[in-house]
Amino acid sequence: MRRLKHEFCFNLNPWTISAVLIGLILFLPMAEVLWHLTKPAENWEHLRDTVFGRYLKGSILLVVGTATLSILFGVSSAWLVACCEFPGRKIFEWALILPFAIPTYIAAYAYFDLIDRLTPLLIWVRVNINQEAMTLLNDTIVYPVTIIVLASVLYPYVYLVARTAFTRQSSQYIESARTLGHGPHSTFWRMALPLARPAIVGGVALVVMETLNDYGAVEHFNIPTFTTGIFRTWLAGGDLPGALRLAACLMTFILLLLVLEKWMRFGARFHKNSQSDRPFQRFPLGQAKAGVAIACCLLPLVIGFILPLSRLVYWAGLTVAKVLDMSFLKLTLNSIGISTAAGLTTVLLALFLAYTAKYFGSRTVRATNRLAILGYAVPGAVIAMGILLVAKQLNSATGWVFTGSLTMLVLAYIIRFLAVAWHPIDSGMEQNCEQLNNASRSLGASTAQSLIQINMPLLCNSLVAAGLFVFVDTMKELPLTLILRPFNFETLSTKTFDLAKQAQIPESSVSALCIIIVSLLPVVWLNRQIRTMEK
Amino acid sequence: MILLELDIIETASHYPVPALVGFTMKANLKSILGISLLAVASVSAAELNVYSHRHYDSDAILFKRFSEETGIKVNVVKGSADQLIQRLSSEGKNSPADVLLTVDAGRLHRAKSAGVLQPIKSEVLIKNVPVTMRDPEGYWYGMTVRSRVIVYAKDRVKRSELSSYEALAKPKWKGRVVARSSSNIYNQSLLASIIAANGKDKAFAWAKAVRKNMARAPRGSDRDQARAVASGLADVAIMNTYYLGILANSSVAADREAANKVSVFFPNQNGRGAHINVSGGGVTASTKSKKEAVRFLEFLTSAKSQETFGNVNFEYPVLIKNNKSELLKSWGSFKADEVNLSILGAKNSEAVKLFDLAGWE
Repeated sequence: MRRLKHEFCFNLNPWTISAVLIGLILFLPMAEVLWHLTKPAENWEHLRDTVFGRYLKGSILLVVGTATLSILFGVSSAWLVACCEFPGRKIFEWALILPFAIPTYIAAYAYFDLIDRLTPLLIWVRVNINQEAMTLLNDTIVYPVTIIVLASVLYPYVYLVARTAFTRQSSQYIESARTLGHGPHSTFWRMALPLARPAIVGGVALVVMETLNDYGAVEHFNIPTFTTGIFRTWLAGGDLPGALRLAACLMTFILLLLVLEKWMRFGARFHKNSQSDRPFQRFPLGQAKAGVAIACCLLPLVIGFILPLSRLVYWAGLTVAKVLDMSFLKLTLNSIGISTAAGLTTVLLALFLAYTAKYFGSRTVRATNRLAILGYAVPGAVIAMGILLVAKQLNSATGWVFTGSLTMLVLAYIIRFLAVAWHPIDSGMEQNCEQLNNASRSLGASTAQSLIQINMPLLCNSLVAAGLFVFVDTMKELPLTLILRPFNFETLSTKTFDLAKQAQIPESSVSALCIIIVSLLPVVWLNRQIRTMEK
Repeated sequence: MILLELDIIETASHYPVPALVGFTMKANLKSILGISLLAVASVSAAELNVYSHRHYDSDAILFKRFSEETGIKVNVVKGSADQLIQRLSSEGKNSPADVLLTVDAGRLHRAKSAGVLQPIKSEVLIKNVPVTMRDPEGYWYGMTVRSRVIVYAKDRVKRSELSSYEALAKPKWKGRVVARSSSNIYNQSLLASIIAANGKDKAFAWAKAVRKNMARAPRGSDRDQARAVASGLADVAIMNTYYLGILANSSVAADREAANKVSVFFPNQNGRGAHINVSGGGVTASTKSKKEAVRFLEFLTSAKSQETFGNVNFEYPVLIKNNKSELLKSWGSFKADEVNLSILGAKNSEAVKLFDLAGWE
């Protein structure tokens, strides 16, 4: 009660009120989806009895497979790069995050004919075993193929956090373990891995969410998942209530995973040790072991980056003359423009929301912030559905057309990616600004003054990092953009999808390459910053 | 539940916080942003806004020709028809769109039921488009025709073995058929036509049996089905005619080879005829340029435009006998199912449910 009183008597001012309003507005489309659960869905029984199990099975198989393979790829390479010494280590250190720049759907297109290549094998099975075995093999093989494709571009989420965790442990714990006579093997299994677990679980959670969010790749390989199910029920079946039920099921599924993730961390947090000045002595590897290490690092890199990129480059070489014209420049400018707009506005909003919650210590703002950043856990297709629903109501109430405008599209990106910007800013503020805020307040500086003169300069790095994350994510985004884009508005990602959808994959490679190149620059830059920070 | 802490997302904060920052890019980014915002078209009288599902070269050529002839600029949003219909209905009477172009009568019917089209009366359209290929009330008009046929491997299947869609359900074809997903409207309309001809129960039994006869779970596009037959994975495919035309004229040698290994069979020639469908369009309920929109549809159904569709995209004209494309002629003439296409639209949702029940993904 006292808290409530405190909240309303001391924390009611233009800052907190607008922060609460913004938070609620950003949450509105998701609330709209959940609210539709209360409405009857006449086809639900039919869906539940026929296709629901298939979607659930497909999603679970993909999630489990992709997560497992991402851990294998990410953790092993992170350990080798962070704590062992072998030829090429320094190159692998940055090269291993390059697959970040490749969106899942583009990876799928780069491997589009992988399954067709297996036709001779399948025919061999039919001739030598029987037709049932061929059909069975044909229908199961899409799963490992899709899992490999997804994991090979998503593992950097695990790799990055694991590498940071291992590097931070190294100088203190690992050296102690070594002094106590542990070799690289037992150090890894008995100390480094358990210590890095919270970080790894966090990275895996991001992999899982990206897997569940994917539309382009699963659509391409025809795997029944919740996302393809939502699109089928909503668009092919014309059944919006049914699709909303599926969307809500997917949201519940993700929330369960979040609970699981929290439980798996056992409340553990990332360890931030005081860093030692002593350079860490990595485990030196003998010739044979170094060979294995190189192979371990090379494998994800080849599957996730070198192979798809070289195929795309090859196709681009074949089709560039046909595809490249002035309209292509416009595509690129559209993509860069909209991603910049999304990056800037998202960062500004995230800064405002995080700052207001911190400065006024307001629980209400903190709560609405939490609601607003939920968008990152919700697949783009679901957010787009929510936005269309909200827009429809606004439309009939006010007569304004909200859909199909750039503003709406940017708003959608903000909802989807607010968390990406909010977290670096929020944690940056927690580390650097909190006490200074109190000091500046007691010295009589206004709220705005302390934001602009203290927080913003101190947070400069976090702000730029946050902006870059949103920029790259927007650049790669597909389902939201497909549904909400305005007239004549094509981006590199929609163009890639359009062409691939028409089975013109070689033609789509030029725009796909552009997305990768633009995304690469921040990724490379980012890696340098991490290394500075790790040292 | 919602207040549950999203630790997962916090992982993002463990992304590195960079140490050095350069803001020299800022000015450039701003100017780029400015350009892209200015690039949004404004709406004036001499413009037509088209929502189109069709993404073919033929359409770009025709839109350009229309602009040259009439001075009316054509703005296009390409997208999946289903999404475009959702968007039209969400935009309501304020939608800026004037024309909706899409493939398949099932979708045109869906657009009509969603209330996003308006009925139009045009002597020219009635003359250009046969009665089975337009909405009885004038909500939509067909523009091109495609037939959903059986494509077979020339070296492994004799024409005499093939007869009808129904015959593909026989045990003889076990493990030899390929077809794409039932999320695709072409399959939905085919099943709707079978419901219309044979009734619901027989249609269900057909879908179930054909699914069992498949060499693999439905996957890929119509083109991929032809490729699967050419590669020896299966012997027959259910697919649309023009895709074979596109394959035969592909820039990829392997695709041209694949097209060479297969041939077209028009089924049910001794019965109701091969299933055909249209791509077509209608004028939106919200248009403020109805006259121009009607003129646009008249232009697309004119004899000259119809020829372009045939030559560039291998689609039949709505008056099939007027076909001038050599490739289409080489497949021979055929008897088409004359069921009114609006009936297929009406049976669409029933067809989707039957596919779900039959396990045809």
